Amino acid sequence: MTLKKLRASDRMKQLMGGYYMMGKQAEVNAWVTSGAPVELLYAMDIYPVYPENHGALIGAAKQGPYFSDFAEKKGFSRDLCSYARCDIGCVYAGTSPIGGLPEPNFLFACNNICNTVIKWYQVLSRIFKVPLFVLDTPFVRKELKESYVRYVHDQLYEFVDFVERVTGRELSDSKLRETLAKSVEGVNAYADVLHMAKHKPSPLTCFDAFINMAPIVCLRGTEYPIEFYAEMKKELMERVERGEGAVENEEVRLLWDNIPVWYRLRWFAEFFAERDACLVADTYTNAWTGFISMDKSDVFWSMAETYTFIYLNIGLEHMAEAINRLINYYDVDGVVIHSNRSCKPYSFGQYEIQKMIDVPSVVIEADMVDSRAFSEAQVETRLEAFLEMLK
Amino acid sequence: MNVGYLCTYTPKELIDGAGFTPVRIFAGDNPISLATAHIQSYACSQARGSFERALKGELDVQAVVFTRCCDTLMRLTDIWERNTDMKVHNLEFPSRIDEKSRNFFIRELEDFVAVLESWGGEITLERVKESLSLYRVLEEKLTRLFEIKPDYEVAIRVQEMNVRDAIKLVDEKLEKAEGSEGRPKVLITGSVCPFVDVYKLFEDAGFALMDDICTGTRFFTFNTPEREIRNMEDVYEYLADKYFNKAPCPTKHFSDDRRFEYILNLAKDCDGVVFLLLKFCEPHFYDYPQLKEKLEEMGKKTLLIELEFPIASYEQLRTRIEAFYEVIE
Repeated sequence: MTLKKLRASDRMKQLMGGYYMMGKQAEVNAWVTSGAPVELLYAMDIYPVYPENHGALIGAAKQGPYFSDFAEKKGFSRDLCSYARCDIGCVYAGTSPIGGLPEPNFLFACNNICNTVIKWYQVLSRIFKVPLFVLDTPFVRKELKESYVRYVHDQLYEFVDFVERVTGRELSDSKLRETLAKSVEGVNAYADVLHMAKHKPSPLTCFDAFINMAPIVCLRGTEYPIEFYAEMKKELMERVERGEGAVENEEVRLLWDNIPVWYRLRWFAEFFAERDACLVADTYTNAWTGFISMDKSDVFWSMAETYTFIYLNIGLEHMAEAINRLINYYDVDGVVIHSNRSCKPYSFGQYEIQKMIDVPSVVIEADMVDSRAFSEAQVETRLEAFLEMLK
Repeated sequence: MNVGYLCTYTPKELIDGAGFTPVRIFAGDNPISLATAHIQSYACSQARGSFERALKGELDVQAVVFTRCCDTLMRLTDIWERNTDMKVHNLEFPSRIDEKSRNFFIRELEDFVAVLESWGGEITLERVKESLSLYRVLEEKLTRLFEIKPDYEVAIRVQEMNVRDAIKLVDEKLEKAEGSEGRPKVLITGSVCPFVDVYKLFEDAGFALMDDICTGTRFFTFNTPEREIRNMEDVYEYLADKYFNKAPCPTKHFSDDRRFEYILNLAKDCDGVVFLLLKFCEPHFYDYPQLKEKLEEMGKKTLLIELEFPIASYEQLRTRIEAFYEVIE
């Protein structure tokens, strides 16, 4: 079957092509984790390199096992995160599907998405012999304590000192405020796009959201995502006006949980479309929406709050609450839960969350990048049975 | 009341000072079955195995403290709370160990005391001072015992008992302890291994042992001498120094790569190094390749043993350890 394609995806490829080109010319670059406050870097004209995005790209290119192998040969266990394995593998291989990433001037890891990034970036810091800054965010199991925010807040100031020392550049207050304003605008534009899935039938699937998420992750704080997502929204609006869904006969509306199975995006998209099921939303891309509450009087405090109370850094009750909000907002019939071998903080607790959410769910076992951990027959059987049950 | 904990960065002194008994929780000897309904099989078997025992009612603990270390235990906290009757608290030990995180840790200690009080504990300065000095005595005695000859049975047993009984037990062992001179020495580094028979395999093969294991020396190796304690602020300051300077764990980030230096230093006096790692233990497996490389540059032979609890085949382990002994000899 042919899947419907969004024009936005071509524009996205150009945009990201430009982003990677920028990296090759950047004077100073830092490798950063996806949940780090990138606004501070853009405000200091430092180019952010995203190894996680690179990992996703390798997964989508179905080259996960190939690049992971370079790391495994050096002794990195196959049980480690496949983003990390591929990223480290590419460093050893000296290339990647996009010719490798530019060497970092420094490294910036924030453990609000996992503690794995601390270890991964330690490995990189030994390889490249460049300084590593760890932004340590306490886990918000129940309440976001003031002491947590204070600790993160103080580290943000320390980070600015660190960058000024390493690069000799200075942070200007106005530039930071400008960048943060753009970040908020970009995040809102992105949220507008995702919210289009509220329409019935939904004009987009979570696969469209996955494919087009790179700008909000990598270019957050610049003009690009604002324009890009506004354009994308227009295109989706056209579909809505025509009464056209992303899936031909949308009968069942579903929510996806966890990072996508990058090497099988198309397979999943077709599988559900053929069965009149539309994955209208997901917890992964929605984690980037509406997360900024900017109090202009103290932007550092706001950043500290925002980046500590991030989806992967909160307790199961908070997570279930967030999922139930999505279920309600998008009027979802069921949840497809990807138990992702590579992502422990995202996956452990999923069996509990199943009992805490308002609609039925199914768990499938896979890995985001390493296709060796994927069993098509098993996934197919599970999903068939689940859809059968929902219909 | 017994208060369980899993991580050696847990300030046991405050638990004991509150009138409770801190008890370390280990995986058991039986296959894991009940836990599989609550957590995936790619969680390490220390996490799954400990939780299994809780679900089976094998643990005599009424509350558990989860001290922030790895992603698995971070998530296990909520799972544990939802499926047992035990009280649960997560103590957010910073992942960064430096001056900046020290104040935050002290705040967490203050909050922890409030939690212990809400559990019915009574903390007075006098009691905490006693607990501080008892644990210091225990740690010194264990260090002395291990200098003569490591005794893993004792090391593991003391982690499951009141500190006062623990001191008596170590005293008895100290009286009879004899060294094992003249044997090739191997350094065992890794995560947890509460199964004493594993260490016996190394001794049977002919090795003398040294370790950097979470259930071995990392439980009792601290580097902060005794000092005068006048008030609770002093207690917190002391505990911050004590836990920040303990034998380092790979879940922590030190700006100076302290863990590598620590292990390379331990390895100097050894003839070989064995990585005794628990399958799926990310913090250790990330360190392994680069640490191994550094050790080999020092001319040390290394061996990687990947464990899962309960241990399926001791005979297989024996063969590998004996083969390693032959390489070293």
